[in-house]
Amino acid sequence: MNRRLRPVIVDFTGIVLFGIVIYIISFGNSLQKMFQLPSSIYNMSTIFLSILIEALPFVLIGVIIAGLIQIFVTEDHIKRWIPKNKFLAVTMSCVVGACFPACECGIVPIVRRLIGKGVPIYAGVGFLLTGPLINPIVIMSTFMAFGNDLRIAASRMIIGFVIALVIALIVSLLFKSNQLKHPIPPKTHTHQTSIQQPLTERIGSTLIHAVDEFFDMGKYLIIGCLFAAFIQTYVSAEALVGLGDGLAASTVVMMGLAYLLSLCSEADAFIAASFKNLFPTTAILGFLIYGPMMDLKNTFMLLSVFNSKFVFILISIVTGTVFSILMLIHGFY
Amino acid sequence: MRFYFQQAFRAAILLTFVIFIVKLHYTGDILKLINPKYDLLSKIGAIIFLVLFIAQIQRVWSPKNESHGHNHDHNHDHNHDHGYSPINVKKLLSYSIIILPLFVGFAIPLTSLDASIAAKKGTMLTLTNNALNGVGREESLTDNNLEITEQPDIESDDNAEPLLEEQNENTDDSSADPYDNPEDPNLYSNTISQEEFKRVVEELKSSSSIVMTDELYSTYYEAINMDMGEFEGKEITLNGFVYKEEDFTEDQFVLGRFIITHCVADAGIIGFLTEVDDASSITEDTWMEAKGTIHIEDYKGAKLPVIKISEWKEIGEPKQTYLYPLSIKIL
Repeated sequence: MNRRLRPVIVDFTGIVLFGIVIYIISFGNSLQKMFQLPSSIYNMSTIFLSILIEALPFVLIGVIIAGLIQIFVTEDHIKRWIPKNKFLAVTMSCVVGACFPACECGIVPIVRRLIGKGVPIYAGVGFLLTGPLINPIVIMSTFMAFGNDLRIAASRMIIGFVIALVIALIVSLLFKSNQLKHPIPPKTHTHQTSIQQPLTERIGSTLIHAVDEFFDMGKYLIIGCLFAAFIQTYVSAEALVGLGDGLAASTVVMMGLAYLLSLCSEADAFIAASFKNLFPTTAILGFLIYGPMMDLKNTFMLLSVFNSKFVFILISIVTGTVFSILMLIHGFY
Repeated sequence: MRFYFQQAFRAAILLTFVIFIVKLHYTGDILKLINPKYDLLSKIGAIIFLVLFIAQIQRVWSPKNESHGHNHDHNHDHNHDHGYSPINVKKLLSYSIIILPLFVGFAIPLTSLDASIAAKKGTMLTLTNNALNGVGREESLTDNNLEITEQPDIESDDNAEPLLEEQNENTDDSSADPYDNPEDPNLYSNTISQEEFKRVVEELKSSSSIVMTDELYSTYYEAINMDMGEFEGKEITLNGFVYKEEDFTEDQFVLGRFIITHCVADAGIIGFLTEVDDASSITEDTWMEAKGTIHIEDYKGAKLPVIKISEWKEIGEPKQTYLYPLSIKIL
């Protein structure tokens, strides 16, 4: 009886929820005309929603992939795939990240799930850094934004890859444990049950995991978007740019700009190009390489995964490494 | 069977996201947020939300004895909330954060970016940067290829050749009043082949009058900045919004447009410094269609293409306020 009744109740619940949501929304629409806010608030809310709407599909895809990893990949798989040698593991993670088309928001839930499954922290970081930086869409958009000039796009990929490799190696020397915010219980039990489940059930639990992941990560994404929108509305890029004169200062300024603007790696090339004649190429590369690795929006998402001490140390390592390597290779530009 | 309020609430949030994205597409407001090239991607987002909603409503009613739902895999790390534990302040806060964009989306109307944002983006800095493009290029061309640098001289004699001008006027007529269309037909496939692109740029160089359509605005803009000398003295028709900076003279303002690669957050501004007698009476954010001639002038030590406006009329904010970069097919 209960078995037959259940689907009916579930359907009914869905319809009732739909009604309630529509009712609340119609209330919100009438709210629109009730108050008038300063125009900068409208600008900020528009930018906020635009960053969010842009990022959501990527995050959702990331969340679904994370759900799939949770259900279909076991700790044993991970143990077999990841090389024992640290250097090999880091190289492999960077290469996998480079082949994996992701953006900086979508990759966070995936990395979290992988590390939860036993991927070492340094391999996770390598994957996290190269995933958004090196992929076909980024190459194409960089190529086009810089007047169909392959030099910048190629430098971005190659130097970016080397930098990611160095950062992951530094992390491998400094950290042994997984650094997750909520440590995993040491030994897992009943693993076999998930393998024996029928496929439909496994897909069901994948989706349920994805929902939990979305609610967990979504709030950090939203805070990140909000901060980025605030910066874009109230902080003048021109004033920031005015701070930088000379190679080191301008590189710092461009990296700072990349951090604060929190642009998607697929779309930042055009903004970088609008500074290309005002700043040395090294500074432009700083913007293009640092932005996809670290930014304001991304920092909040990382804080949802790792303990905050690790996040701040990671930011320092990334910042220091990107800056020093760019200064070192400046002679070639 | 037990009813779980929090699970129902989560399902409602997922459903509201679906309705929000569908509404954006239905009303066309999505154009105020993202480049239509990414239209499909956001639709996929809505579909994923819908699928997650359907998965989530299964959890609203669960058997009493199994607090973690049916056949839930217990193996995973318990590092996130499943919506079964009781509501506390922390959870209330995180739910309000999740609801925030939905509240903002339904209660606050979307706007188009305006001059105040242009100020934050460093408009004159961008325009100067883009104009410097041409300088760098001309220099490199002098190094490599002398023939091409001579071209501007030949072209600047353009006006002396009546035959050529006549031809151009003909082409002008055929493309008269480009702003009739509310939305450019190519909005969703802003892509042209490389040959077509070259042809467009060549045609531009040979014509004496330039019309900046939405579709080709960024292409023309780049070409003009690349080779200012070649375009000096030519007539240009363009639209945009008015933007002013403190150190402009009485008769100066920028007629600009925002160009969007992916979403509004990555908007850049392109446009021209213009000069017209009664500029001080024109307020910022006025949308206008203007006609004028291109001159080269110094602005803070850099040579910029400046448009001396001969006639202009106010137009309302167009339906398509933003420009999207033209993608050139490489393969």
